[in-house]
Order: sequence, then C-alpha cells, then structure tokens
Amino acid sequence: MIRNYLKIAWRNLWKNKGYSLLNIGGLAIGMAAAILILLMVRQERSMDMFHHKKDRLYIAGNQSEFDGETATWFATPKPLAPALKEEFPEIVHTARYTSNSDFLLRSKDRKNTVRSAFIDPEFLEMFDFPLLEGDPDHLFDHPDNIVLTASTAKKLFGTDRQLAGKTVKIDSTDYATVTGVLRDLPENTQFRFEAILPWSYMEKLGWSDDFWGNNSVATFIELAPAASPGQVGEKIRDITIRRSNHEESNEVILHGIPDWWLRSRYENGKIAGGRIEMVRLFTLIACFILFIACINFMNLSTARSEKRAREVGVRKVSGAGRHALIGQFLGESVLMAFLSGILATGIVILGLPYFNTLLSHPLHPGIDDPSLWVFLAGIILATGILAGAYPAFFLSSFNPARVLKGSLKGNRGNFNPRKILVITQFTIAIVLIVSTIVIHRQIAYAQDRENGYDRNNLIYVMEQGDIPKRAHLIKDELLRRNIAQSVSRAGSPVTEAWSNGWGMEWKGKKEGDKTIFDRYYGDEDLVATLGLTLVEGRDFDLSEFPTDSTAMLLNEAAVKAMGFKNPIGQIVKDNDVDWHVVGVVKDFIIRSPYDPIVPMIIGGSGGWFNALHIRFNPSLNTATALSLTREVFEKYNPDYPFFYHFVDEAYARKFEDSRRKGKLAALFAFLTIFISCLGLFGLAAYMAENRTKEIGVRKVLGASVSSIAGLLSKEFILLVLAACAIAFPIAYWAMSRFLQDFDYRISLGWDVFAIAGTGAVVLALATVSFQAVRAATANPVKSLKTE
Amino acid sequence: MLLQLNNIFKWVNNGGNTTFLLKDINLTVEEGEFISIMGPSGSGKTTLLNVIGMLDGFNEGEYHFLEKSVHQLREKHRSALYKEYIGFVFQAYHLIDELTVYENIETPLLYKKFKTAERKALVADMLDRFHIVGKKDLFPEQLSGGQQQLVGIARALVSRPKLILADEPTGNLNSRQGEEIMDLFKKLNEEGVTVIQVTHSEKNAAYGSRVIELLDGRNVTP
Repeated sequence: MIRNYLKIAWRNLWKNKGYSLLNIGGLAIGMAAAILILLMVRQERSMDMFHHKKDRLYIAGNQSEFDGETATWFATPKPLAPALKEEFPEIVHTARYTSNSDFLLRSKDRKNTVRSAFIDPEFLEMFDFPLLEGDPDHLFDHPDNIVLTASTAKKLFGTDRQLAGKTVKIDSTDYATVTGVLRDLPENTQFRFEAILPWSYMEKLGWSDDFWGNNSVATFIELAPAASPGQVGEKIRDITIRRSNHEESNEVILHGIPDWWLRSRYENGKIAGGRIEMVRLFTLIACFILFIACINFMNLSTARSEKRAREVGVRKVSGAGRHALIGQFLGESVLMAFLSGILATGIVILGLPYFNTLLSHPLHPGIDDPSLWVFLAGIILATGILAGAYPAFFLSSFNPARVLKGSLKGNRGNFNPRKILVITQFTIAIVLIVSTIVIHRQIAYAQDRENGYDRNNLIYVMEQGDIPKRAHLIKDELLRRNIAQSVSRAGSPVTEAWSNGWGMEWKGKKEGDKTIFDRYYGDEDLVATLGLTLVEGRDFDLSEFPTDSTAMLLNEAAVKAMGFKNPIGQIVKDNDVDWHVVGVVKDFIIRSPYDPIVPMIIGGSGGWFNALHIRFNPSLNTATALSLTREVFEKYNPDYPFFYHFVDEAYARKFEDSRRKGKLAALFAFLTIFISCLGLFGLAAYMAENRTKEIGVRKVLGASVSSIAGLLSKEFILLVLAACAIAFPIAYWAMSRFLQDFDYRISLGWDVFAIAGTGAVVLALATVSFQAVRAATANPVKSLKTE
Repeated sequence: MLLQLNNIFKWVNNGGNTTFLLKDINLTVEEGEFISIMGPSGSGKTTLLNVIGMLDGFNEGEYHFLEKSVHQLREKHRSALYKEYIGFVFQAYHLIDELTVYENIETPLLYKKFKTAERKALVADMLDRFHIVGKKDLFPEQLSGGQQQLVGIARALVSRPKLILADEPTGNLNSRQGEEIMDLFKKLNEEGVTVIQVTHSEKNAAYGSRVIELLDGRNVTP
C-alpha cells in the first residue's frame, strides 16, 4: 500500500517536473530559512543552560531609585560575595567574577594577549566548565596559579596537554604556574575568558577593594538545594545597606541564571523582558516563512486538484475510504517535504557562513548532535503535515460520481481559499519590506548625524604596559618626527563612555538634582586631537597654564544642565576635586548615535587615562603613518604588541547591531517575496492553463493580446492590493514600536508604504505577466481543439 | 434477489425550481440478470446507475441490497458494502495514468487488505484471462481504447464482485472493440455475475436479458 502511494507520488513528481521543482524549491528555501532561524533561537535559548546546577545559581543584582524609577544592574561591590556566604547558611557557594583584563601572557618562545578573568575558586564548582587537565581541588592554592583554556594553551605552548607546572609570564611583572587546562568555552555561554586567575592574584595586584560603594564585579551565588529563593532573596536585600553602615542605599536581588541571558531587562524593579522578545520575534518570523512556503504547496496542490480529481474518484470507487486517501496525500506531501528537507540542509550548510556574519554569536551546529537530526526530522514532518493537510482534506472530499463525470472543471469557487492564501503571503512580505526600508533609513539617518568631532585620520591605542609612564616621550617623538599632527591622552576611547555619575556640585545646583553626567578626562591638546569644536574658552594647555591639571571642559548640554550663563571660570566639584571650567565644546556623540546627547564634564590631566589618541599628519598616507607609529611604540613599549584602533571604524561598530538587524530584515523580506512570487508563478501558470478555452474563445472573438494578458494579471494584482491594505496598518504599528527604541529617529512617512506597495505590485505583475502573455499569444485554434 | 429499489425519488433545487432527476423508480434485480438501462440524454440513466452503485444518494424511497437497507446505512457501511460486492466500469475507462496495467488492476485489492501473495495470484488471474499478461508493465497511455477498457473491466472484476455496473462501456470504442467488450460482458454474465449497463445502442442492449427505459427520470419500460 505504502509502496503504491510512494510510486504514485514519485511518478507524479516526475511527470510534472516544473511544478515539482517549484514546489520543492520553494519549500526548501522556506525550510532552510526556518532552520537557520530556529538554530539561532535554539542557541539563544540554550545560553548558560548547560550548567547542571543552573536552577540553583543566581547572579546578584543591585536596585536603587533614580528619578522615582527603580534601576536594576548587575555590577556589585567586591565584598558582597564573601559577606553573603558568611552570613547565610542557605548560600553554599559564592564567586566573584570579572573579565575586563587583557594580559600579555608569555611562555618561553611565544606571547599572546589573553582575555583573563579573575574568579573566586568556587566558581568552577558552581559552573560546568570541565577541566581537561589539573586537580580541581588544588587549582588555585597560590595567587600565582593560572588556568588556561585549551586554545590559549595551544597558542602559548603549541599543545594543551601535560602543561601542569609550566610557567607563564603575566605582562612584564609576574610569573604564574599553570595548574590546569579548561576545555574551550562553548559558544552558548555569556562568560568570556581565555584564562582564569584567582581572586588572590587580583588582591596581590592591589586591584581588589572592600568598598561597598564600588559596583564593579559580578557576584554569583549557589543556593542549597532545599533553600527557597524567595526567602533568601528577602533576607539578603539589605546586606549592602547594613554592611556599609547606611553609607550605601543599593538593595541586593537574586536573578536566576536561566533568566540571565533572555530576561534581564528590568523595569521599575521587575523583570520586563529582554532578549526573549527578539527570540520570540524571530521564532515568529521563522514560522511565517515556513508557513508562506507551505502556502505555496497548498496552492499548487489544490490548483492541480482537477488533475488529481479523477484519481480520487477511481480510488473511491475502488473502495478507498477517506482516511486512506488523506493518508496518501499526506504521505505525498511528507515525501515532498523530505526532498525539500534534503535540499534545505544543503542550503543551510552553504548559507551558514554568511548567516553567521549577521549574528552576534555565530552558530556551530555539530552534525554529531543527535538532537539536531531529531529537530530536522521534526521540521520535515511538521512542514509535510502543515503543507499537506489542507490539500489532503480538500482532495479526499471529492464526490466520485461527480468527478468521474468531469463536472469539476471550471469550478471557480475553488479559487477562494487560494485567494486568501495569496493575500496572506503578500501581507507578510509587504510588512517585511516596509520593515527593511524603515530600518535602513533609520540607520542611514543616524549615520548622517553630526558626531561632533573629526573621526578620520584618528587612531587610539589602549595604554598598556609602559605607555602610561612614557606617554609624554611617545607624544614628543610622534610630534617631532612629524608622524602626528596632535596627540592627547583620554579617559577612554572617544567612542566609549566609561564613567558617569550625578554627585557633582556647582554653584546654583538645585536641591535634589540627580542629572547624570558623563565623566571624561583629557590631557593637553584634547580638543585639537579629537577635532572637537570650541564654542567658548580654550583647549587644555599645561605649558601656558600650569593649573590646567584641574581644568575642565563642558559640553553644551552640560552648560545647559548646570544652568550656567557664563560657564568659563565656574567651579565644578567632582570626586573631592575642584575643577575650574576653561572651555565649552560643541556636543559630540560618545555613546550611541541613536541616543540623545548626555551632558558631559571633561576633567584635565588630574584625572585618569586609558587611551592615547593620535591624529596623524594629514600629509602622510595612513600606511606610512601607521608603520612609523608602530616603530615609536615598539621603542617605548617593547614588551607589548602594538594594537591600535581607527576611530572611524570604532564609530562604525556602533551601527553593527542595527545594521545586522537591517540585513536580517532584508534577507527575510527577500526570501518571503521570492517564495511568494514562486507560488504566484505556479498559480498563474495553472490559471492560464485552466482558462485556455476561455482565452481561445476571446481571441476568436477579436480580443487583443494585451487585453487578455491584462485580464489574467488583473486578478492577481487585486490580491496584492488587498494584501497592501492589510499589511500597511500592521507595518505602521510594528515600525512605530521599533522606532520608539531610538531617541534620534526618523518619522514614518507615507513614501515608505508607497515604495513597498509599488514594489510588491511590480514584482507580482512581472511574475504573472510572463504566464499571461504566454497564454494570450497561444494559437486559439490549438487551444480550442483540445477541448 | 440481489437488490430492490422502492419508490426512489431524487431531485435538485435550482433557484426556486425543483428538478426531478429520478421519479418514483421501482426496480428489482435478481442475481444473474443482465440489465440494460436505456433512454435519451438527460433521462437519468447515469444517475440511476450511481444510485444503485451507492456513489450517489437519493431523497426519498427505499433501497435494499442483499437484504440490507441501504437508505438506513451510514456512509461507512455503505462504502463497505459496495467495496465488497460491486465493480464499476466507465465509458472513459478512468484508469490511473501514473500506474501500470498491473498496478491499476491491483488497486481495489489494496483497499480490501488482501495479502501480497493473494494479490499477485488474483491479478495474474485477470491478466491471464484477458490475455494482457504482456502489457502488465505498460502505462494506460500506451494502450488502445479497447485495451484500456479491458483493463478497466479487469480492475472491476478482480475483487470478484456480485454486480458489475457499466456506464456506456463501449461509448468511446469503435464497433469491433465494442463488440469484443460486449461479448466479454455476456460471458461474465453466463459465469454468474450480475451486470447492469447504461447504453444508447439497441445492439448492445440486445446482449442483456432485460431493458429498462427511462424518460425524464421515470421508468417507462413498456
């Protein structure tokens, strides 16, 4: 029986090669897109879910009230972890974690900059990062012990085996003994490190502190199996307040590790969502694309129903029950889905590298993962049944007495559900087209925004190793040799805001004013180096004004926020230093180009510096300037490789996330419209075929080719117009919501909809008219004879 | 008695008008009969045949088939009944284009859950009997009309029905092929199969033992 069905299905496929190709191809593209998206969703959902204690693991968060709203963040004071473990028996383990340090690690003959994490040793008992080598109980007996990941070990020693006891040099200062090798971290974890060092080493470096007001590390907590998270959460709430003798006011909360990645956006103290929204949106899009591909299948199957009707009749007369027929047709669609699945797998394998460029966490599905195959089989079965169900019920419902008489022909009523399906397809496609246009316009709009400084010909170098000590020597040489036009140290790269706060004091500050200011620092020539625009006053200049180490620049937003009429000469007190304002610069973008400008104070050389900014001599070409700069750095900072960043590239990275979104939306929009047009193409072919006689008669009666082509196309164009009518409000609503996330945003104009609508109509017309013209130019004598 | 129709009415409502397709049909068919239904186009011949074949329902009246009251049966039992006892032959043969001769003949057996070995034997029997063994792997389009109709009849007979319903079985054939098919029906009838055929041709009707004449849905047999 099954064999009989398979045979029929196969022979049907073979006989109608064109339509089979259309069907299988369309379905395969849809499936491939859905598989890629669902793989991504699977990875998102699996983030840090592999720790077997995950349901007892928490990250500590802080909550505090600002402007009447409760803010929540996950940086905590360093003494929190030990204090929690000491006070509460329900807490069995705690671990601090921070991975902001890049150390230069050296073995005998190799060196590498390695992203290193400081942890409390219990960290490895709480989280599942398996050791390839080493004794788990004695990894961090001494502050100068280090554990490497396998690939770091390979980079330093050429192997990841038998490394216990080997020595690595950390920066140019310390030696550490390798006590273990960890398997490389999987892609689906938020932890990012290539080596781990014990907290005791951090203390030895003098980087640790017991200050409850310095929220700078992550604190992880493991509860006892029997402990109630709710009760523990209540008990620990006031620990910072108590331990700091009410100096601090932050309340401590527990946030479950399973929620850490997907649900960590808090609004007013409550979990309000997070990445889960994006994951849901993508799941929805995957379902839509698959659904659209299935619609094609349904449409083409039911359109061909007249050809299959006789078979249904004969089978019924031969004694087939409805169930048997439904089974047969479902089997056929599952077979189609299976063939599509094979094709889709090929597309996924070929498309994965490109798709990965659109993702922040690339996918590496292993073919040895059985769940992947179950997942694929599931998709195939689901697609087969989804696509086949409607045709199966539709076809199996035919009355044999009627179909065998041939009276099913020309039954226009059958077209109605198909119309709805086409409208559905195009509605989704048009919504996606509008989204693509809006996202791209929004990106372009923000890119065109005046950023307030000159980002061309400007690089920055992070101040590692000997750079802080020798910064003035480097600067002198760069200027003397005419490599640079101007050089200045700064608190952070000009594309990153590292510090902010609201504790400043100034004359005329209003009671209770908690305006948050960005805090930046700059050395001499900051304005010249960055290419900022001075509105008032002057740049930092220590040679002329020795007191400039406590000089301050403000941006225009800060002048406004502080309410200064004459900003020059005002005193701003911050961190117990009295800064005197010497100049005002035009607002410039240091954070996201989509956000409003935050008021900013720029302290002089009395502050701290992390990034050296160099504006190249414009008469040198960039490559020469770079290689000369490298020489200078290798001379003054010989132990470290010369790492630099172009500011214009760093600035462009601010758009990476939204550009990724834009590309994804464009990809999905393209796929949807492509699949929809494939379906339309097939459908138009059938329509033309079924109306051969009508066309013949019309031609004999004197109709022109264009009038017939128009007649055949009109019906489809009406469907697309109907889809526009449904899609526009949906797209408007969705895009208004999308744009609300950006403070600096475009307004949603009618032209977006006009472009999307016209595009869809033109594409549909191009697809259909090919068939229409072919049908219209056929010789009527032939078409009438066949009837 | 094989089947009995009592006061069968069938009608359709078209707008405000009611059109009768069958009007007060009474008919008793004994086992072993060979009946020809005749009448002009639109007189209800095919409708009557479909009613007898249980492919089509009726609005009023009683239908007994082998002591069972068809009008009271549910769809499931009704199809079980015709599956078991009735074979159909069509004017346009209605073979499945994608199946070979062998597979076409085999189809009814598949729906009756015969075992593979049994199916083979039964189909081989039919192929033998109609001398089409050499054509068993051909597809319908590779056969002449007469040969296609032979396959159609073989398919109708393969599950050994008591009753064969044939709707103008020779309508698409030339006269020589038609005669061969009619001879075949005659032979089958002599072997004990009841045959009811719809035909336009007096000559074909003469093969039968009895003629029913229809006019506008009414039995007008003299």
